[in-house]
Amino acid sequence: MHLPETGGQPVTVAPIGRKSWRGRGLRREHWLGYLFVAPLFFFLFVVIFLPLVQAVYTSLFREAGVTVRFVGLGNYTQLLGNGPFWNSLKVTVTYAVAAVALHVLIGLPLALFLNRIRRGRTVMRLAFLTPWMVAPVIGAMMWVWLLDPHFGAVNYMLHSLGLIQQYQVWLGEPALAFWSVVLADVWRGFPFVMLILLAGLQTIPKEEYEASSLDGAAPLQQFRYITLPHLRYLLAVATTLDVINTVRAFDMIAVMTRGGPIHATEVLPVLIYNTAFQANHFGPAAAVGVVLLLLLVVFSSVYIYLLQPGRSSEENI
Amino acid sequence: MPSFLTKEVTRRSVLGGLLGLAASPLLLQACMTPSANPSASKTPSPALKTAPAAGPVTLKWQTANLTEAQYEPIWKEMVAKFQVQNPTITIEPILVARKDHWTKFVTAAKANQAPDVVSVDISTGVYNGYLLPFDDLWAAEPESYRKAWTEDALVAGRYKGKLYGLPSWGGIYAEFYNKDLVQKAGLDIAKPPATWDEYLNWAKRLTTQDRWATTILGGPTDTTTRVLLSWIWSNGGDIFNPDMTATTFASNAKTLEAIKYYLDLELVHKVTAPGSVNINYLEQTVLFAQEKIATMRNAYWAVAKVAGDNPAIKQKIAVAFPPMHGNNRATMVSVTCDSISKDCKNPEAAWKWIKFVNDREWSIKRAKIANWLPLRTDLIDDPEVKQDPLLAQFLEYGKVAKAYPLNHPLWADIAATDVVSTVQAALLKRGSVEELFGKLDETLAKKFKEM
Amino acid sequence: MKKASVSQVASWILALAALAVVLFPLYWMVNTSLKPASEVFQSPPTFYSSRWTLEPYRHMWATRPFGRYFFNSLVVSGGSTLLAMALSSLAAYGFSRFHMRWERAGILVLLLTQMLPGTLLIIPYFQFMARLGLINSYLALILAYVSFALPFSTWMLIGFFRSIPRELDEAAMMDGCGRIESFWRVILPLSLPGLVAVATFTFLQSWNSYVFALVLTTDPSMFPLPVGIANIMGEYQVQWNELMAASVLATLPVMVLYGFLERYLVAGITAGAVKG
Repeated sequence: MHLPETGGQPVTVAPIGRKSWRGRGLRREHWLGYLFVAPLFFFLFVVIFLPLVQAVYTSLFREAGVTVRFVGLGNYTQLLGNGPFWNSLKVTVTYAVAAVALHVLIGLPLALFLNRIRRGRTVMRLAFLTPWMVAPVIGAMMWVWLLDPHFGAVNYMLHSLGLIQQYQVWLGEPALAFWSVVLADVWRGFPFVMLILLAGLQTIPKEEYEASSLDGAAPLQQFRYITLPHLRYLLAVATTLDVINTVRAFDMIAVMTRGGPIHATEVLPVLIYNTAFQANHFGPAAAVGVVLLLLLVVFSSVYIYLLQPGRSSEENI
Repeated sequence: MPSFLTKEVTRRSVLGGLLGLAASPLLLQACMTPSANPSASKTPSPALKTAPAAGPVTLKWQTANLTEAQYEPIWKEMVAKFQVQNPTITIEPILVARKDHWTKFVTAAKANQAPDVVSVDISTGVYNGYLLPFDDLWAAEPESYRKAWTEDALVAGRYKGKLYGLPSWGGIYAEFYNKDLVQKAGLDIAKPPATWDEYLNWAKRLTTQDRWATTILGGPTDTTTRVLLSWIWSNGGDIFNPDMTATTFASNAKTLEAIKYYLDLELVHKVTAPGSVNINYLEQTVLFAQEKIATMRNAYWAVAKVAGDNPAIKQKIAVAFPPMHGNNRATMVSVTCDSISKDCKNPEAAWKWIKFVNDREWSIKRAKIANWLPLRTDLIDDPEVKQDPLLAQFLEYGKVAKAYPLNHPLWADIAATDVVSTVQAALLKRGSVEELFGKLDETLAKKFKEM
Repeated sequence: MKKASVSQVASWILALAALAVVLFPLYWMVNTSLKPASEVFQSPPTFYSSRWTLEPYRHMWATRPFGRYFFNSLVVSGGSTLLAMALSSLAAYGFSRFHMRWERAGILVLLLTQMLPGTLLIIPYFQFMARLGLINSYLALILAYVSFALPFSTWMLIGFFRSIPRELDEAAMMDGCGRIESFWRVILPLSLPGLVAVATFTFLQSWNSYVFALVLTTDPSMFPLPVGIANIMGEYQVQWNELMAASVLATLPVMVLYGFLERYLVAGITAGAVKG
């Protein structure tokens, strides 16, 4: 998520900007700004930061029944040497890449379509948005029911259409289960990406297309040379947000598979949950959580740095 | 944002950030001390010398099954009656789906707000310091009352010699058959299979195009382990060494033989419904109720469950003792205890409620309506219980039933995760049974060492 | 011109096919919710039935305090929405109208909040709320939900406020308005679409959250919808038709809400994301 902070001026001119308000002689304004943002940060400090500190603190301890001992970074070093963590990391990465790629692959064409049509635009937009409105827990239960090996609609339909030879146990075989939870997530997740891209498409000036049409550009070329550059920044925003949300997602997998079978769908948030609430190891669980947080921070920083608008020729203001 | 990371980090901002970080634990402390102190002193005290509560008392009560249809009418009536008898005590039931029961309990316990009366795995609960022993309250009861529970029954509520749970109700495991399907396969329900060999013969004949003899349980809850264990016990095997310091899944020949026999029903003979890796109690009973499988290993409570799913099935149920191998007549009784949590401020009131829940009237009601068998032994000869032939049959099996869960502090974890993963790996052919269960023994040995 | 219409027809066909796939699970939810218990497990499953009935809805409503869950969800989501709007619009105004030395740090903190895995915070957050005596209160849920929604809301509003020319507030201040007054009188009314977008977004998130509500409420009369519904799916018994009936009822209100307000959401994201 890129948050341009200087109203579109290149980052390097920030000091000048500061001088400019000084120039206006409104020194107290500076403090007024802090006053406006203070409630938000006070809120985040109390509601998020304090529990986070507590979680980090917990991650320095290991418990064996009632005895709790301080292990320093012991939980972290143990983590790096342990199979479940690396397995979960692998699952998380594959899951996120697959899900986000599919969100974009489905969301982008739909956004293009919705942007182009005139008739039925609102209705279509709303219809495609509906999966996003379903609570993850409810969506997950719905998919469990649809994918039921004996009584589910999916097996029946695919079998009737001759697409599968026999009823599949969708959530029972590791690879199938993995793709099933990806599918369920894609179903619920693509509308968000679609929505953001649609928002971006609506800001591309019509004249650019008209001008290029006059120059005889084919639709594909228009897409390549007008649409994509405009969408570049928004694609970056959408995918970053989407990666963050997908990696943190817990509800759907927890309901659909609880991480099984044989840990095939045990993404990191589910690993945290299972470590804490099944194995009763709260310290190690917290350590996994902190590592996950760090991974997300690093990922977002690198990703945004690579894609920030300042590095490309386009200006998005 | 990245530019913040690269360019804007001035010494001042770093210093400020560090200061903020350093100050926050202090603030945290400040926010949290007021109630942190009493919590520190609230470690379970063995002596309960609290004076009887004078004022009104509220007892939070959490068990895994309050949301279940077969129990709901009974416990609502129970709460209402108790509150009339004890106007100063209010019962506050905590409704939670079974799969979230432990999460919810632990979260509350971690904040020293555990519900007062709970039903959780005793060993795991005590090991983590969540339960209060109540030997004093028990000892204060008259001999005539205590007699209702035999010492054998009480073992399930004890941990290291102290009493933490009153065994309340249980499920005795047997083999269920669908009489219709048995008949259609040309078999005689009057002579159900008594041995593994006979069972396998039946199973082969009961399997058709879209129906199966039975199902392996391989889903992510401890019912997977229960059924596996009941097969192991029917071969005279065991999964712990005598002093419970190591598991013997692979090293005990009888255990391994039973595991192989059971899993081979699917792996070799293919007489089980597909999808076993997702199947637990819920899915198994649905398959049985919808007549997709002809037999299942389950406890008495499954009668109410399958009848709830499909009322027509009730007439078709027949029950027999689980087939055995060699001369190992054994089955399982899954025990649920009522306990007082470490955060309970009025153990006397809690004990009063536990006693009430387990008195004659409600125990019999639970048995007859919800199909949960009372664990107080003085009810077995009760005419109301004896009248019911099916109930009597289960109680007869109960005489050779071993108690579940096993008395090990990590049991709840092992049963719901490690064993399940191993069963799943075996079903998915990720290795031979010997190999996988050998690895399970090793994993658990490591886990025990960390304790 | 002809060619274009062929491709148009093709894209409509594709889109409608995609729509059918996307909507099928929802249809199945409604279909299941209308089936009598005896038909739920019929195989092959029925795609519509002459025996459709509202009985599952009636029974579910009669046996569970569903109205109460509904009310709780409404209070919690409504409260979260209001609080999130207040906090994020104030902050967005601060970020978009002032230069602050700590601006980037602030934005980084916001981002960090967005990245926190919820499962990490369950226990500490519960402990915190327990110490404040806020278990079983609407406030505990509202605080949690607002914190999840704040980063995205603030980000959207920053973009929105930036799209409003500074000259407008300056003109207002020339007319004798203070900062706060110009915020209230000029900026807020102009960014109504953005505020509505933030509101619908927060409302949806709060309406659908589960885990925190699961641990933070113990009293059934305080359960919001997702917790109430999850209780219908006990491990030992699932009445699929009633479960789906409850799900339909829980999903319907947000759909109606979005039906009315969705265009603002697009407008809000357009302004927030693009012009930001």
